[in-house]
Amino acid sequence: MFWFLSAPRPLGPDAIPQHQADLANGALMFNIGGCLNCHRPDPANASANAGLPSGGAPLKTPIGTLFPPNLTPDPETGIGKWSELDFVNALARGLSPSGDHAIPAFPYTSYALMRTEDVLDIRAYLMSLTPVKAEDKPDDIPLPFFLRRGVGLWNCLGLPAAKWQPDPQQTASWNRGAYLVNGPGHCAQCHTPRTAFMTLDETRSLAGGPHPEGDGNVPSLRGLIERARYKDAKDLVSAMQFGETFGYDKLSSGGMGAVQTNLSKLPEADVQAIAEYLVSLK
Amino acid sequence: MVKPASILKTMPVLAVLAGLGATFALAGPIEDRQAGMKQVGKAMGAFAGIAKGEAPYDAAVVKTNADAMLAGMKQAFANFTPGSEKGPPETYAKPEIWSDPEGVKAAEDTALKAVETMAATTDEAGFKTALAGLGEACKGCHTKYRRPKE
Repeated sequence: MFWFLSAPRPLGPDAIPQHQADLANGALMFNIGGCLNCHRPDPANASANAGLPSGGAPLKTPIGTLFPPNLTPDPETGIGKWSELDFVNALARGLSPSGDHAIPAFPYTSYALMRTEDVLDIRAYLMSLTPVKAEDKPDDIPLPFFLRRGVGLWNCLGLPAAKWQPDPQQTASWNRGAYLVNGPGHCAQCHTPRTAFMTLDETRSLAGGPHPEGDGNVPSLRGLIERARYKDAKDLVSAMQFGETFGYDKLSSGGMGAVQTNLSKLPEADVQAIAEYLVSLK
Repeated sequence: MVKPASILKTMPVLAVLAGLGATFALAGPIEDRQAGMKQVGKAMGAFAGIAKGEAPYDAAVVKTNADAMLAGMKQAFANFTPGSEKGPPETYAKPEIWSDPEGVKAAEDTALKAVETMAATTDEAGFKTALAGLGEACKGCHTKYRRPKE
């Protein structure tokens, strides 16, 4: 029963639509996805290009230290040989090309909501980067391989069954914001509290919770205006775009600093869309 | 026993200090560093107002606020003393402040230099460049050494 329920459930070739890759959109999705923040090069390797996601920097999690892998198109140590389907299965199912389960510190339960076209654009963007040879380092987690299979079981609970669905009652920009926040932006991974099963507690979506690295609490993104965190949506846009430079000193602690840097790189219309969506959360 | 006359003599001195934007020593290092940071934040608010176009650029206002910010920053940095790792009052300082003194020193020096750069600006273009550097300095330290506030 365990073996059956925990089996990897990869997507098949018909999950890949006909699509002309858009590198600019891939870069945008790479930025809001914050890919580089975890897949950054090992700081011990001083010669590594800090702007390339060659992986290996330690990532502390409650279950141990992970070493996120190399996302550059190196054929041996990176994703150079990955097919489009391999890449989509990694992002939407948390599965490696060999069918191994990723540890859910990799936020595939959010990426699963993304349009497949956006995922393919990220792949095209990554494939356009300079390949870096950086061997994968085994994660330092006290979890035997057969328990890793248990992640498959957890996926039955934690993995969304469908893509993000727009709300026809709302504006196009509200829907864009909702998509960016819940899909590629994976804000919920820290800002939504978790259930006893460590899945996201959708009844308290984006309502804040304990910090994943034990750094106090992650603020709620609900009622930002009502609780006087921001004057209005425009104020929130300024905060996301400029952070501490405009005196918004709350957007740097607890890992938010890197997120704000990513947000500052987004087109203004997208930041406005995110603000429109967030201030609507009561 | 403090004589009324000596209080009267001290009063003007206190008033002058307050006028300079200096903050008084409160109950302990946590209160003192938080008061210092509050003064930094207040000056940053004045800069942000100019940057957002809510207030006109005024070199004198910038200088006054940069001086106040420098004083606040020095007061804050001087008060991350051993033994003040935990409150009450609630402190958001991370243990890394005490375990990584070299990193903290480098971050503090960057911040002090950024304020001095701001204080030396004479035009709006210089102000904007200095503000970006100042924002990065605040962020650099808060990212590493402060817990989230809510």
